[in-house]
Amino acid sequence: MAEMWISMGPQHPMTHGLWTLKVKVDGETVVDTEPDLGYIHRGVEKICESRDFTQITTYCDRLCYASANTWSHSYIYAVEDLLEVEVPERAEYIRLIAVELQRIASHLMWLGAYGPDIGNLSVMVWCLREREMMMDLLQELGGSRMHYNFPRVGGVKRDLPHGFAQRTRAKVSLFLNRIQEYEALFDESTIFLIRTQGVGYSKPEEMVNHGVTGPNLRAGGVNYDIRTAHPYSVYSELDWEPPVERPSIKGADCYDRYRIRVEEMRVSAMMVLEALDKIPRGADTYHEPGDPAILAKAPSRSPEGASGFHHFEDSRGESMFYLAGGGEGRGKMPYRVSIRSPMFITIPYASKCMVGYKVADIPAIMGSFDPCIGETDR
Amino acid sequence: MGKVVPTSNQKSAAETMASALSSMDGVDAVVSERKNGTSPRNIVSVDCSNKNWRPLAVCMKVEHGVDYCSMITGIHWPEGSPDKNWEVIYHFMRMGVTDPPVVDGMVQPIVKDPSKLEGKDIPLEIEVRIALPETREPTVASVQDIWVGADWNEKETWDLVGIDFEGHEGMRRVLQPHETPVGFHPLQKQHKLRYHDFEEMYDDVQGFRRKPSDTGKIK
Repeated sequence: MAEMWISMGPQHPMTHGLWTLKVKVDGETVVDTEPDLGYIHRGVEKICESRDFTQITTYCDRLCYASANTWSHSYIYAVEDLLEVEVPERAEYIRLIAVELQRIASHLMWLGAYGPDIGNLSVMVWCLREREMMMDLLQELGGSRMHYNFPRVGGVKRDLPHGFAQRTRAKVSLFLNRIQEYEALFDESTIFLIRTQGVGYSKPEEMVNHGVTGPNLRAGGVNYDIRTAHPYSVYSELDWEPPVERPSIKGADCYDRYRIRVEEMRVSAMMVLEALDKIPRGADTYHEPGDPAILAKAPSRSPEGASGFHHFEDSRGESMFYLAGGGEGRGKMPYRVSIRSPMFITIPYASKCMVGYKVADIPAIMGSFDPCIGETDR
Repeated sequence: MGKVVPTSNQKSAAETMASALSSMDGVDAVVSERKNGTSPRNIVSVDCSNKNWRPLAVCMKVEHGVDYCSMITGIHWPEGSPDKNWEVIYHFMRMGVTDPPVVDGMVQPIVKDPSKLEGKDIPLEIEVRIALPETREPTVASVQDIWVGADWNEKETWDLVGIDFEGHEGMRRVLQPHETPVGFHPLQKQHKLRYHDFEEMYDDVQGFRRKPSDTGKIK
């Protein structure tokens, strides 16, 4: 049969955003693919060049609407590297709690979106129900529902509010029970197993060479995690291990990538509970905004010729900011801001993973890598 | 206590690698210690000349096990010195990831204890900076065939900054529209943002209240 190119997207249920996947098909079999990105390119890097360091945080929140907190924290760590700021330990614990809650919320959003992708609609409603609990907790911290603008250079915006620890413990414990419900819903659904098992194989060495990290890599049976390999924040103080999945001989398939995210939600939930117990001065004390216990003093101008960067474990892989400081001539503004988006690198790899499978497998494979176009296009 | 890579191990591994890389021609490698956050990070910080970049890349991949290309950044420094009008900055990481072994038909996941890693398994961060002199056509060698992860990074750097990668196959626009004029790369510094004032930007986004005297003012 003759081969032909078909265009999936920019409006297609598979895309989870606005982009096009050009697929070359031979009958029902995928022969070649080519992703086409840039539909929502906003020029964030250029805009950041005329904003000062505190103003940029809000733009970083908006890079990914499902995982705003991890992105703004990723940026803040790079700025603190540039300006050489030391952060109070209590602030680091609060950041850890915020980031891990956001990671759970992001994985829940993914799980909720992945269900309808492959014909399991009820799971979406269930996942969004629990995501709502996480968003309520994050709203208590940051003040808004999706774009929190929570971290500050040198600390955090606000301390944990009164009763936050109690409510978090209750909600996270409830959530840990509810995870079993999702597992029952997915693992006992024959349709889900048929559509995810045995499709979209990927091997760890190949993934690393292609620049794929995070949960997608750990699904391949490797326990590499930036939180343990290059420990930042207070991850070294907590008792935890990154989850690893046992893949099949041909590599990790879509089912392994689903399993690893469920396990990661569990690990993050346990981490939040432990951090609430270990936080210095206790989780129930409250400091006013700007107190030295939660916000260190930071310079607003960077030294001449300085640069800062920080590898950060985002919910989708390694995110990173590179900042070139401007010196006196640029005032408080950076000279160049460069963003490393995990999905920008992963989408081309995921597109290669589809070659050899059927057209009907494309949503299952693409969805299992957790694409987010907001951060991809910047 | 979590199992993390100890700072002392990372520091000695970084020093070993920096001294090995420094012996190459046109390469200057040092260990730079960063002190933000809770634990210091030791980074192999490399300055490399343009013509020695390709041998350095091969050496890092083959002899030092640098298996992951994280990001490529291009910077345009029009008011900089004549030898550093452009800069390309590579960020690599050494992950030490291998495919998990198969025993009796079952894959055995690799669960390493990060606190006990040794030799080339110790994770490292590497930063390579290449300064380019004043030119209309900045070009560096492509490393697309060494790390496939550099492929789209190089495409993006060319698309937005205009630094060309010699030997890169399939170069095209990735973030900007395909019909963008040839030679337009928005992160070059001669392209300015339109707004000339923060206040105007927030109060008068569409510019209805712009005065004739504001014509040509830019930020």
